[in-house]
Amino acid sequence: MDGDCVSLLPRVCDVLAAPRSSLPDDTSLEKLLDWFTTFSKSGVSLLEVNPCLQGFISTVVSSRAAESSIISFALKLTGLVAAAEDGFRALQANSVLDLAFNPQHWREDGLWDDPCVRIGWIQGFSTMLQHRQAFSFFVQADSIKPLLQLQTDTSLFVASAASQMLAHVLMLSHPLLSGFNGKEVDDKSSSSSITGLMRPAVIEADQDVAAVVTEILEYLKTRMLPKESSQLHQSQQILKLLALILSQAGPSLRDKLLLFLREPLEELVALNYSQLTRPLMDVILAAYSSIRGDEKVPDPILCHLLSVMLNQRKPFDRIHAAAAFLCSGHDNQIHMAQSACILLLPMEIITGLTLLEGNSTVKEHRLLMMEQLQSKISCISMICISLKHIPKITLMAPDCRPCPPAVVVAAVLALLRLCRGLSPPSLNGCVAVFRNVTGSGKVQKCALEALSALSSSSEVSVMLVEVFTLLIEYLNHPDSDPTMLQKSYQALVQWIGVCSNLSSITNQLKEDLTQVVRKRACDMRWEVRDSTVEFLGHLAGLPACRTEVGGACNAAEYLLGGCCVTTPLLVEALHDPESYVRASAVSALAQTMTHSWQEGVVPTKEQAEIVTQLLEMLSQDTEGFARRAVLQYFITWFSSHPSCTSSPLLMQSVRSVLLQGSADLDWEVKVHTLDLAELLMDQAFLGQHGYTKGLESHPAQPHPYAATAKQAYTLTQRSDLLCALDGLVKQGLLSVLLSGLFDCDRPVGLKACRLLIRLKHVLLLKTQDESDAVKTDPRLYCELLSQGWAQEIRNVLGTEDRSNETDPHTVTVNVCNLVTSLDLEERLDVLTRSSDHFYNSPRSLLQDILTASAAHAQQDSQLKEEVIVDCY
Amino acid sequence: MKLYCLSGHPTLPCNVLKFKSTTIMLDCGLDTTSVLNFLPLPLVHSPRLSKLPGWISKDGTINLEKELKECAGRVFVDSQPEFCLPEKELLDLSTIDVILISNYHCMMALPYITEHTGFTGTVYATEPTLQIGRLLMEELVNFMERVPKAQSATSWKNKDMQRLLPGPLKDAVDVWTWKRCYGIQEVNSALSRVQLVGYSQKVELFGAVQVSPLSSGYSLGSSNWIIQSHHEKVAYVSGSSLLTTHPQPMDQSSLKNSDVLILTGLTQMPTANPDGMLGEFCSNLAMTIRAGGNVLVPCYSSGVIYDLLECLYQFIDSANLGTTPFYFISPVANSSLEFSQIFAEWLCHNKQTKVYLPEPPFPHAELIQTNKLKHYPSIHGDFSSDFRQPCVVFTGHPSLRFGDVVHFMELWGKSGLNTIIFTEPDFSYLDALAPYQPLAMKCVYCPIDTRLNFHQVAKLLKEVQPLHVVCPEQYTQPPMTQSHRSDLMLELQPPPMPYRRCSVLNLPFRRRYERVYILPELAHSLVPTEVKPGVSIATVSAVLHSKDNKHTLQSVPKPPPVPPTKKRKRVMEEPPVAPKPLLSGAVPLEAFLATLQMHGITEVKVEETADGHILHLQAEDTLIQLEEDGTHIVCDNNEPLRTTLRDLVLRFLQKL
Repeated sequence: MDGDCVSLLPRVCDVLAAPRSSLPDDTSLEKLLDWFTTFSKSGVSLLEVNPCLQGFISTVVSSRAAESSIISFALKLTGLVAAAEDGFRALQANSVLDLAFNPQHWREDGLWDDPCVRIGWIQGFSTMLQHRQAFSFFVQADSIKPLLQLQTDTSLFVASAASQMLAHVLMLSHPLLSGFNGKEVDDKSSSSSITGLMRPAVIEADQDVAAVVTEILEYLKTRMLPKESSQLHQSQQILKLLALILSQAGPSLRDKLLLFLREPLEELVALNYSQLTRPLMDVILAAYSSIRGDEKVPDPILCHLLSVMLNQRKPFDRIHAAAAFLCSGHDNQIHMAQSACILLLPMEIITGLTLLEGNSTVKEHRLLMMEQLQSKISCISMICISLKHIPKITLMAPDCRPCPPAVVVAAVLALLRLCRGLSPPSLNGCVAVFRNVTGSGKVQKCALEALSALSSSSEVSVMLVEVFTLLIEYLNHPDSDPTMLQKSYQALVQWIGVCSNLSSITNQLKEDLTQVVRKRACDMRWEVRDSTVEFLGHLAGLPACRTEVGGACNAAEYLLGGCCVTTPLLVEALHDPESYVRASAVSALAQTMTHSWQEGVVPTKEQAEIVTQLLEMLSQDTEGFARRAVLQYFITWFSSHPSCTSSPLLMQSVRSVLLQGSADLDWEVKVHTLDLAELLMDQAFLGQHGYTKGLESHPAQPHPYAATAKQAYTLTQRSDLLCALDGLVKQGLLSVLLSGLFDCDRPVGLKACRLLIRLKHVLLLKTQDESDAVKTDPRLYCELLSQGWAQEIRNVLGTEDRSNETDPHTVTVNVCNLVTSLDLEERLDVLTRSSDHFYNSPRSLLQDILTASAAHAQQDSQLKEEVIVDCY
Repeated sequence: MKLYCLSGHPTLPCNVLKFKSTTIMLDCGLDTTSVLNFLPLPLVHSPRLSKLPGWISKDGTINLEKELKECAGRVFVDSQPEFCLPEKELLDLSTIDVILISNYHCMMALPYITEHTGFTGTVYATEPTLQIGRLLMEELVNFMERVPKAQSATSWKNKDMQRLLPGPLKDAVDVWTWKRCYGIQEVNSALSRVQLVGYSQKVELFGAVQVSPLSSGYSLGSSNWIIQSHHEKVAYVSGSSLLTTHPQPMDQSSLKNSDVLILTGLTQMPTANPDGMLGEFCSNLAMTIRAGGNVLVPCYSSGVIYDLLECLYQFIDSANLGTTPFYFISPVANSSLEFSQIFAEWLCHNKQTKVYLPEPPFPHAELIQTNKLKHYPSIHGDFSSDFRQPCVVFTGHPSLRFGDVVHFMELWGKSGLNTIIFTEPDFSYLDALAPYQPLAMKCVYCPIDTRLNFHQVAKLLKEVQPLHVVCPEQYTQPPMTQSHRSDLMLELQPPPMPYRRCSVLNLPFRRRYERVYILPELAHSLVPTEVKPGVSIATVSAVLHSKDNKHTLQSVPKPPPVPPTKKRKRVMEEPPVAPKPLLSGAVPLEAFLATLQMHGITEVKVEETADGHILHLQAEDTLIQLEEDGTHIVCDNNEPLRTTLRDLVLRFLQKL
């Protein structure tokens, strides 16, 4: 804590403690508390450094005029101060704690009605409970009663905070009791620092602690069951608390809790309240989550509860319960299989396919489920839940899953056809339910997502042709909305990606796909054109696949006939009126070309034309997205080409790209330009001593005593370096870096600065011990224009460097001098800080509070004057 | 009330409603699908069509080679195309008082109804309906007359002959009623009977009913009709749309509380969403042009074409089609494009506001100005010199049997680069293409039908809640090809009354009330008596006078002084019997029992019934039934007691 802040804090405390204090904004108090918390965590005693806090707390706590937000803040601060034992003692000595944490005190003034005060009380208390004395204070003050009341508070935030604290209290109390009883202590709770702190103190029996635990458990037991449906909220809150406790409890506490609460839990499960399905499942899953690997047999109570949830509840609730259990990923095969059956049942009913052959329990549920599926809302909701979890079912162990994954894929395909009204429901399917799903966009989107995810299941490649056929139908259908089309494309890419053998795809299907892609590339909706272009890019990026002749081939090549279809479509899309599509087209082109780049194939005339178009886009496109994509195109090209210098087209283009990119108005384009510059540098300097690649922007300084292998450098290397530098300067790299350094956008400046530092290191290490001849090598000089950022550089350099005789507007500078004179490290330090670092500092916060208060006071006095004038 | 159904086509209806002594024809649509059985009429001599072999039955017994030609495995009639007219025998068309037209597509049979049938009534239609309807009729006449065909094929229609023909000719129904197209004089004469009406304008028909058109949102000037008397309301819904296209939006609220709603003209393509189809249209068009092919769009010269052009106006730039010429070829192309711009008051709100800027409401004006869209009356003349490929051509007729489209089919059909895009839903595209097979040209079917679909109509009916719905039988079952789609039919409670061609339906509601006027002097003479607060009644003796379906009560004229005759004496002998007073009110039980007691009747047993009470006077062995709408005294052989009891009852009642 710096001295300025310490000196400001007493005045701030006075301001805050004063009635009707005015704050600069709502978050000031939170920020202040965060600042105190940081201090307290660093081990500094708050009261020791800031004795004024004690006065502030006792003033606010005893004040009758303080605002509720200030009281809440003071309560939280009290907790923070009292979390340290010395702070606790100091506050206790002044009886501040008795006053602050006595709800009755706040009730007297009606302040307790404000949820802000209640939450301050809970959080303050909760923060304080870090040591034995605080816990004793909590027990002796009988604070458990108000806390339990707050657990069902009307404010959700208060209720949630109260639950958190109750769980916290129980976690603290339970090991104390266990220690007393001499029983096994839960691993989880014993590992917490709190109990670790408290354990030495627990030597004697503590009846009060036992009373607290009993009170919490009794509360859970007696209030869990709703006496009437209006009390469901209370039950929900209690179940939430129980889930919270179970998620933190170890096996011992878990078993005790389950045993103790068995009766109400079983009764509650049997009561069949839909609203309680989710909280009940949370409780069950929280209990499951505490099962350790060595506990092979799950708790019978838990098993019973789960069985009831999966068997005896309404179909809608059962689906939710099954989904929750399946999501949790527990290794309980019986219930996993049961959950899978429940989730597949609606699919079986609707599609008429046999997914659950011979499953007797499902038969019982079928009628109820069919009835529920008649209602459109619950039908769609249940199918969507089912579809969301179907991929997980196919990933289950073969002996556990109800049917082979291929059958599940067939069911999803059948459902998608039904949604389109493409095929009539089979005789087993329910016609009334069929009406509910026909045309449902939600079901179709979920089913397409499921189909996408199913691609990664085993044994599904046999379905490739059917999946392909349906997805092409979807892509072709006039009623498919842009999202459906995008999902269809995604699914197609997924399936092509995982199926290494595409030989089953017939020529007709390939032709259909080509036609549909051509059509969608001309769609009216830009989203569709964008998805199509993206699809072409993704397809090109897929690994090689096997074909019918046994050879390996690129998927795009095999399915769409390769570049003769793809490239013209993408080139056309470069002129799309929508910038997103143009940007996607550029990216897709890059993906399409990557393969030929990697192989170092000489660019064709067509590719050269594309480059011309892209450079045109970079200089003329009005939208940043497209220009950024162009930069990315060249970055990909540069980074995937095995030897960039061997491609004159690439090197020529890079110079133009650097020139145009660094002059762009969009900061992201400029950053991408610097990324390209970095690649150039990497290529030029890699292997040179002192140069580090990539993210290591701060190369390790050579150890002062380390033996530097100067002798390893040969004249050839030195010459290489100067040649490389010369090449980079000619490419315009230095101009890019320098203009970036003086850019008004911080990320651009930062990146340029880091690159310049790397350049500096490599140059200095080379030249520090070299002869003057090297230092004056003409290759170390470059020309700068005398305008804009170059003028600033000239100012930095003074008049040392030479003015160009031929062109008075340019100046020739020595690169080494330049990079050393710019004081790059200091600049980097400034740039690394966020632009608002000053305004977010604690000092600024404290000053803001004081200023706001002063302004408020002034306003008040003016008002008073006005009143006086009026009266006079 | 009766409904005579003269057409079985659900979107080209022709029904006659008999309602309160008026005979109203609702639309007169012309079913032109019959032309698909005929050979196309080429504008330029077509060696292919002229060399088609004549049809002779396999066994050689029937030789109709002059009338029927074989083409691509099907048999076509080589004659001037003929249309299937509305049924003319079901009722005498001369008795029709008025014809109400709902939109320009549903009036194409008008000359067949109004001319040469003795029809003397009036036709009501909105102005755009009349003007665009006229254009469509003129276009049809022009298409037929510019390729005259002397031959008229009739032999094949012989029943014995027809049943031996191959399908679909064999299955064609009512072929004897098929007629050739009317001439321009008949069109003019028929349209001269049209009287223009505006939306919500009320037109009195003989004082009996009032008819009023409402905006139906389907096409320029398209209407639904309300036909109502003082106490009954019939709504006629034909070709309505809830989509936001160029016409004024549909007026739904005025359809509320109808006794009967006659529902026709739903979409012919319930599974084809117009937006999706429009998207298909544009992307297929762009794809063809990019590949260097031409696009042919067979369409009507008015209607969806306005929306297509508007959509293309926005799409041209995004699809880089700026340099592609768009041609609209029709004898009425110019008029159609210009008419659409002047009917501002019939357009949707957005387009109406443009007029005040002032800007043309439809953007096709800009397309014409910038030379992107060019229109020509025919392929002859200027068009042949301006024609540039690749291009997009909009031309008629969508049946591909006549009009300029025939020429383009012959010209472009052999190249796989070209595409024909069907946008009109009236014809099966496979049947339309049949005489051009084999065809290399790509075919795309994007029927754009903006009329109500089953989902929309279910919502509409839920909103307007008619007591009964009458509709074509096709709407009461799923389409034949998709029998599982129970969502593609009307499911109502009570179920809709289906009709088919030649059905005569007795509409299921009775007229219960009639409005009667009362003359002031007669009203003045009445003496009302208040029977309960706010309700007064009076007896009226008057003469009912009915004229022009208006009923008036007039005072009874005083008998003229009768000349002394022998009869006078007899009249004097029998003075007119004064009408018995009317009784009203209720007999209060307690008070009545008290009165009975005062008159010595004490032994009364009171029994409560559903309608009132039964008093059993045990000593007198008499029953008095006091009910809400009547009092009965059952008293055998004791007339004095009955009279006494009657008088006691009367004490409690008011006399009028």
